[in-house]
Amino acid sequence: MKESISKPIQRVDGPAKISGEARYIGDMHFENRLYAKTLRSTRAKARILSVKKPPLPRNYFIVGKDDVPGVNRMRTVVSDHPIFAEDTVEYIGQPILLVVGPEREKIYDIITKIKVEYEDLPALFTLEDAEKNSEVFTDYHYEKGEPQRAFGEAATIVEDEFRTGYQEHVYLEPQGMTAEFRDDTMFVYGSMQCPFYAEGALTEALGWPAERIRVIQTVTGGAFGGKEEFPSLTACQVAVAALKTGRPVTMIYDRDEDIICSTKRHPSIVRYKAALNRNQDIVALEIDVLLDAGAYNGLSPVVLQRSMFSATGVYNFPHLKVRGRNFMTNNVPSGAYRGFGAPQTIFGTEMMLHNIALKLGIDPLEYKMRHALKRGDPTCTGGKIRDIVKLPEIVKRVTQMSGYHDKRKNGQKYHGIGISLFLHGCGFTGNGEQTIGSKIILKKEGEKVILKVSSTEMGQGAETVLRKIVAYTVDIPFENVIYESVDTGKVPDSGPTVASRTTMIVGGLLQQAGLELKDRWHEADKIEVTRTYRHPDYIDWNNDTFQGDAYPTYSWGANVAEVEIDPVTYEIDVKKISAVYDVGLPIDETALRGQMQGGIVQGIGWATIEVMKTDEGRLIQKNLTDYKVPTSMDVPEVECDFINNPYEFGPFGAKCAGELPFVGSPPAVAAAVSNALGVPIRSIPITPEMLMEMDSDEN
Amino acid sequence: MVKGFRPETLKEALKLRAQYDCLPIAGGTDLMVQKARGFALKPDFRKPLLFIGHLPELQRLEVINRQIHIGAGVILTDLLNSETIPDIFKEILALMASPPSRNLASIGGNICNASPAGDTLPYLYAMDAQVVLQSTDGERIIPIAGFITGPKQTDLKNSELLTKIIIPQTEFDINMYRKIGQRKGMSLTKAAFLGMANVADGKIQDIRIAFGSVAQTVVRSGKIEQSIVGKSTKDIVKNISEISRQYAALIRPIDDARSSAAYRKKVSLRLLEEFFVSNLAKVSNLRKAQSKGDIE
Repeated sequence: MKESISKPIQRVDGPAKISGEARYIGDMHFENRLYAKTLRSTRAKARILSVKKPPLPRNYFIVGKDDVPGVNRMRTVVSDHPIFAEDTVEYIGQPILLVVGPEREKIYDIITKIKVEYEDLPALFTLEDAEKNSEVFTDYHYEKGEPQRAFGEAATIVEDEFRTGYQEHVYLEPQGMTAEFRDDTMFVYGSMQCPFYAEGALTEALGWPAERIRVIQTVTGGAFGGKEEFPSLTACQVAVAALKTGRPVTMIYDRDEDIICSTKRHPSIVRYKAALNRNQDIVALEIDVLLDAGAYNGLSPVVLQRSMFSATGVYNFPHLKVRGRNFMTNNVPSGAYRGFGAPQTIFGTEMMLHNIALKLGIDPLEYKMRHALKRGDPTCTGGKIRDIVKLPEIVKRVTQMSGYHDKRKNGQKYHGIGISLFLHGCGFTGNGEQTIGSKIILKKEGEKVILKVSSTEMGQGAETVLRKIVAYTVDIPFENVIYESVDTGKVPDSGPTVASRTTMIVGGLLQQAGLELKDRWHEADKIEVTRTYRHPDYIDWNNDTFQGDAYPTYSWGANVAEVEIDPVTYEIDVKKISAVYDVGLPIDETALRGQMQGGIVQGIGWATIEVMKTDEGRLIQKNLTDYKVPTSMDVPEVECDFINNPYEFGPFGAKCAGELPFVGSPPAVAAAVSNALGVPIRSIPITPEMLMEMDSDEN
Repeated sequence: MVKGFRPETLKEALKLRAQYDCLPIAGGTDLMVQKARGFALKPDFRKPLLFIGHLPELQRLEVINRQIHIGAGVILTDLLNSETIPDIFKEILALMASPPSRNLASIGGNICNASPAGDTLPYLYAMDAQVVLQSTDGERIIPIAGFITGPKQTDLKNSELLTKIIIPQTEFDINMYRKIGQRKGMSLTKAAFLGMANVADGKIQDIRIAFGSVAQTVVRSGKIEQSIVGKSTKDIVKNISEISRQYAALIRPIDDARSSAAYRKKVSLRLLEEFFVSNLAKVSNLRKAQSKGDIE
């Protein structure tokens, strides 16, 4: 009997990254290469009247909209973002053109000499303004039960509203891309999560078939969603430049440029109206989700979907009316970020329940558990919770670990404890998995097995985990599983590396293929096995009505946060997070623990430190001097445990894990702060500035 | 092109300084950030650089006649590791930037940068530190408060170098320093408070109060401090709102990307009260109790 797959091994990507041997896009050499720098809009919304260009020295080029041979739009869910601005600009930082040439100093010099003449147009800067002006990109609805009747029969109706702010990814390695046109093929190298997204975008921008395009992922220094759709834009830009100049073109952002123009987590307002019966239970809920999509919709519709389908958290509210809207503002576009819309509504729902419980004088945990989902219950979209729900075990473990009940009873002012319960839908939202139809290849060559997938290692441990799944399944040494480099010319499209789907979906396909390969091992020296994803048969989803199972299954968790508030300065000190998760089964316990700790800390950052606001479309915190993320000094004690609950269709029972920890820590911290000061928390980030004001209002 | 001079001695440096309009640079932890133009580009230095961080004459740290003489080139890490530096100053230094920055940043640089948020400044103001300014013509010794004339502005003449900082070797019985940043490490200061005092027989013998990051330069008032000296801690605690009002008139913070004027002002005054009510009162009670032999 082999050891459990959960037993940790050394991360395969670790040594090269730690020793400095890993070669990122900025370390790569290309013969005869040129550099590119973007000229960006300085206006939030304006008509471009003219672009006056200085005379260009030899070997310097300006690349803009007229150079795009195909469609001048970046392909994504809604392909509305121009690769280069056309008649108007819609946000500060929008790319207008590239200056390309051999020397960076000269490129900068040319950029400063280009004069863009604008005519300013009326712009919208806040969600409130956009709502007033009905600037709606997307407006979705779904219902469950009979909300209207339930509200009519309610004993009490409670309303509440919650806000969340921007968040910048601050991946260690900024965005970077190189394109090289040779052998009648466009080779694009860069830091990214989704090479096939970039390939798809390139086919449209160049107007070429995919066969003439190769996208190669280079070592990627963090992503967190920030390298999901955004690199498609830079990939198209450098490819157009490489085509025009006939030379390799590299574009690497520095941190300040990256912050100004790259996508961020959607700021949100989430409104609740709850109908309570005579037992004070919530029988019906109206939820209104407002997201600031920024100047272009991009993939925001899918973010909005996850936001809406996660809005009821781990609870079963019999009657529901959920509306979600993406609003257009003249802010930098929002995009994918770990959690993908779910953190906004999970925060709101957790705090809504917390606030009602406090008002009723009931312990928030007790009140929450009265509404908890059980196996067999309907999901918010009328699907079904089919798997065993281990929420009671999770809660029991996390309250024991943290001493939650005693600490709540013996609470003192300025010391707070709070709990959050949460879930995350595994894999793509809605019909995403069916549409993508992921493919994988396992190829036996002698004693070795080559694993071909488009799943990218971006620091989360995908390579280690997927190789481990194959090694354990085929029963060969880990070293004998070779991870093919992620190059769209070499690997099949197993989908993007997003939505916590890699281990469960891609890993699941690898396990199936691995079992076949193991059976056929002695047939030949060379065997190739492929698999294409099919949703479990029982899953029924209607993407027009939003009815059915939005996700094949869910991962679950509970966090207890303990905080201390400085009574003089109101600084928030997160002392400890106790965390228990059901992710099916950990494929590598150390890698998973690291991911949980990272997600928890990133969530704490969003909930407390990471203030990012705009003033008339201009970011106020636009560099790492002003925008702070937690350092190792800010990391609290984290105690983390797992409750095994193997999932039938996951490899070795594994479900999703990557985004789950991010979703959980913000509401736990907010509940703890609320407990410490005896005030309701309705917006994050929670800052000392905000708390001092609230506490003196109370006094 | 960025031009630079790297003299071997202070004398040579002063000569170059007299001869050229140049920018002195030591660790560069402020200047390299302020003058950065972007990835892979040369920083925007308009004047030739005069590298002084390595000069042996600026590395000395010694006590002369009960005064601590710190060479302007001494890095923060060395101050932190020195036995000469009082604990309260070390507490301040330990909260500055990060270990890598502290390994480069010099105390002279922190002074000459003259940021309203400069972390060494409240202590230097509170201690009546003096700065030594040298040129080929000789030297001037002036108080820190006279040297710093405004945000990012000093009285440093084009021919001068800041070579030394002189701090009286005085330590106080009661010390309280608080730096408010956006996070626990590697953070610029939103507001800082430093209070130091000596109490004997229930009366305040000496008191120093300085606020950082809440006005154009460090806020310190000799007048208010003098009005406190000689009073009993009890009276001071009773009068706290009056003292608070006096300081409130001097604290004029701004709204910026890191905090709000309202918070900065409020938190400064709350820290001031905390200093009097908790630290001063507690310590003097403790003293009383100790003299009665109630506790060890």
